[in-house]
Amino acid sequence: MKRLITLTINGKEYEVAVPPNLTLLDLLRYELGLTGTKKGCDVGDCGACTVIMDGKPVNSCLVLAVQADGRDILTIEGVETEEGLHPIQQAFVEKGAVQCGFCTPGMILSAKSLLERNPRPTEEEIRTALSGNLCRCTGYQKIVEAVKDASEKLS
Amino acid sequence: MKKFDYYQPESLKEAYGLMEKLNGEARFIAGGTDVIVRIKQGALHPDALISLRRISALKGLGNEDGLSMGSMTLFRDIERDPAIARDYPALGEAASVLANPQVRNVATIGGNLCNAAPSADAAPPLMVLEATLTIEGPGGQREVSIEDFFRGPGETCLEHTEVVTRITIPKKRKGTGMAFLKIGRVAQDIAIANAAALIVVENGVCRKCRLSAGAVAPVPLRLKRIEGIVEGRKIEPDLLDRVAEMVQEDVSPITDVRSTAQYRKTVSGILVKRAIKEALDRAG
Repeated sequence: MKRLITLTINGKEYEVAVPPNLTLLDLLRYELGLTGTKKGCDVGDCGACTVIMDGKPVNSCLVLAVQADGRDILTIEGVETEEGLHPIQQAFVEKGAVQCGFCTPGMILSAKSLLERNPRPTEEEIRTALSGNLCRCTGYQKIVEAVKDASEKLS
Repeated sequence: MKKFDYYQPESLKEAYGLMEKLNGEARFIAGGTDVIVRIKQGALHPDALISLRRISALKGLGNEDGLSMGSMTLFRDIERDPAIARDYPALGEAASVLANPQVRNVATIGGNLCNAAPSADAAPPLMVLEATLTIEGPGGQREVSIEDFFRGPGETCLEHTEVVTRITIPKKRKGTGMAFLKIGRVAQDIAIANAAALIVVENGVCRKCRLSAGAVAPVPLRLKRIEGIVEGRKIEPDLLDRVAEMVQEDVSPITDVRSTAQYRKTVSGILVKRAIKEALDRAG
């Protein structure tokens, strides 16, 4: 039986009827068309499906949509502002931190959450914050550099 | 994913009442980072999930007389708690290397224990800290030592209708040092082996020793035989080498995708030895 849930996604309130076995990831991608959140491993290892829920990064493939009832969700679509790309996005572009791009939304959301909590992280802190996001192009070095660059520009 | 129903009770009574009504065809779900994966993989087929998230009795972290954690305490909160970092660093360290940040933001300590993986990172520190689990169900409340909680891979002493409500740790004694160590393939991986040590030192002599090793037997192990060898002695290199050898005798690991049994054996001895050294350094 479907459940009616209310959640805020990128500042906009949604009321949707969802079956209990629907993940937040599938709700975002297939019901709401927010395909910026990627579906990789679907078991919580790769971090491609990372979204920010109530201020904290989570794997949306491991959250049931019914568990997201009443929560505030930020996806990659909500990161850009009216002035253009977010400074973290801009840093990823400038530092060549985007290769195939599949891990990028998750990387940017994990980085955003880190920089909000810790505006001047060390390299080790950056690597720890991104440890749940896998890049199979193996471009980690440039991703770390981009986060460092963004932290300097933001603070 | 298989279809299932979903309930969100507001009280414990309501939760285990629902479980009784559903005749054991339901599962309790805490953070869900294990349960959801196992449903997706077809290893679990519940008709319903009963979420424990709305039950306020399962929340809260207090450390007045020892440490008391609600079973729904998130690893993120354990990892960041300054009192845990100061008084129970083995637990804080385990919480900070469990899986990855995304999982730690959702996963709970009670869930980690009830999932009963032999590699559960929360288990070795709670073993050496001699934690007690409070369990509640239709038959009332009982307390179980963490040592008696695990029965096998994925198996605990819980009845189907019972819920772990709290985890309590006795107050830290003066002169206590402790440490947790883990070896995994990459940062976020499940442990190949993990270990924890707790040492109480008086006048250079070890007065109390608690040792635990994970991922090297069907359940997280307390290494009692070895604790007995260390207690009453000065901790010196010869003794530590003997400890490492004895650990290898006491574990019974398996070979799987992460490691061979032989490697697990060797490395768990080394981890226990290093954990004792680190605990000793902190015991001052």
